[in-house]
Amino acid sequence: MRLGLGPVGLKSATRSSLERLASQALAASFDSVWVEESRAEGAGGGLAAAAMLAQSTPLRVGAAVDTGLYHPLHLAEDIAVADLACQGRIEVLLRLSSAATEKYAAPVSRAALEEHVTVLGRALSGAHIQWNGKHLRVPGRLEANQPAPQRLALNPRPAQPVVPVWVEAVEPWMAELARTLGFGVAVRWGTEADVPSPTGRWPGMVLCSGDAQAAPLLAAAGEHAGYFLVAATTAEQVAAAGRRLAGPLRMPGFPAWVNSGE
Amino acid sequence: MTLRIGLGVFGMQSVPQRPDHHVKLYRDLLEDAELAESIGFDSIWLSEHHFWFDGYCPADLAAAGAILGRTTTLGVGTAVMLLPMHSVEKVADDAAVISRLGEGRLSLGVALGYRDPEFDGFGIRRKDRGKLMDAMLPRLAESCRQAEPPVPIYVGVATSIAAQRAARLGLPLFADSTMTVTELREMLNGYNAGARAAGVTPPALHALQRDVFVTDDRERDWSMLLPELRYMRRQYGGWSFPQEEGETTPAYLQRLEADIEAKLKNLIMGDADYVAARLREFEALGFGLIVCRSQFGNLPRESLHRAIRGLGKVRAQVST
Repeated sequence: MRLGLGPVGLKSATRSSLERLASQALAASFDSVWVEESRAEGAGGGLAAAAMLAQSTPLRVGAAVDTGLYHPLHLAEDIAVADLACQGRIEVLLRLSSAATEKYAAPVSRAALEEHVTVLGRALSGAHIQWNGKHLRVPGRLEANQPAPQRLALNPRPAQPVVPVWVEAVEPWMAELARTLGFGVAVRWGTEADVPSPTGRWPGMVLCSGDAQAAPLLAAAGEHAGYFLVAATTAEQVAAAGRRLAGPLRMPGFPAWVNSGE
Repeated sequence: MTLRIGLGVFGMQSVPQRPDHHVKLYRDLLEDAELAESIGFDSIWLSEHHFWFDGYCPADLAAAGAILGRTTTLGVGTAVMLLPMHSVEKVADDAAVISRLGEGRLSLGVALGYRDPEFDGFGIRRKDRGKLMDAMLPRLAESCRQAEPPVPIYVGVATSIAAQRAARLGLPLFADSTMTVTELREMLNGYNAGARAAGVTPPALHALQRDVFVTDDRERDWSMLLPELRYMRRQYGGWSFPQEEGETTPAYLQRLEADIEAKLKNLIMGDADYVAARLREFEALGFGLIVCRSQFGNLPRESLHRAIRGLGKVRAQVST
């Protein structure tokens, strides 16, 4: 089982608030600390913020990014550079935001999003890409551009051989898409009875509230590992969540007396 | 008046002469930023290109975030972001957050871009870049004005025509390193006329990029630098004017070589006193920020750091 802190919204975060939270996450035995974009409200820069945060913590850093709004190669490039600048500690959660989609005048169809995420996955894989979709053609191979290559690749590549990427599956087809591409599946606590099954090496992710309890999370995980992002925000909440969750999630038979206060 | 000296431009290229892994190149960048801050530089600047074999940095703002996290007073800028290839909404939303997290230390230099395969990668026709820039720049400028703290924007230019676009909006220029003093003077005159015609108050000062290498041993460093400079200029030259249809390779290489020789003449190389005097010439033209490029490709670390420390002495002379 893994335990992440956040995601922390970037709409009003400051450097000191993020660094304080990262420090608290480290002290409370979290595995990672996450930030979250809200592009509908003008808050982007998730990967840059994660790269910034990584300079002040040895933990892994995650960015929940609004997806499908701009060219997937730009997102792949942001991920690669952030991962390099973090020496290979980046994790990514792809999310859909209908409000941001409207603001960015981005295509809204399922087919468009599938193409977007597929091209992102191919780029991150290091493949030499040629994609001929209904919504995307990569490279464009436009007659007006000369010379234009027939294929291209993401360069530089991320530091990690495979960047851990999850897709927040608000509909079943999104989980299918994630699994097809080798991405993990993420859900919000309360919307699914179980932790999503792993995709390859990536455990299912669950976004939990700050007061999440170990027993129901373990029950939801069943035989699978789980990656639980806990949205604790104050120092007290972070410390309490670490005490409450880190031990029980990492090893069966956690002795109750440890947290009994005696 | 105080002349601000920025250090740049960094592209994190794994060049054939020194093909370090990018993990090292980005680690080096962060170390260089710390060194620049300790010496007192105004800012450090990052360059952007896409889909190139040496892994030229394609995502300046992600790298900027890391530098801002590693430093506390150093400004960080893009020199330059190729705006027409991006989503203006994305850039504005990214910049707003990074500026807040970086406590007002982010600056955006933006320009057209010129390399066909980069536009093509994103499915954009290069010939549309001017129209795209015309549409995007006012929107970005407005977003950056409203950001808290606001994000300064510079418009990257290499021609008088491009300067007119910035003049209409009253945005300061970020002049290309290859422009001569005469070209710069003409461009600024055109800019000021354009701003007056648009009823816009021109900014007091503009930014300029120059290739600068401070050395106390010119002979030693020139033999080290020349292959690196030739690589860099050959790369940029090849991007700016690729081999034409029907042009033989020897003829093309000859054309490229002529351009390289011309551009190499723009390098300002010498001891701190000499470089300071040369930079003051540009200050007199109206440039208040000079971004000095001392990293050409991927120089040996010791040579680069010696040059950065030398440039620090120049900064101390011209910034007081």
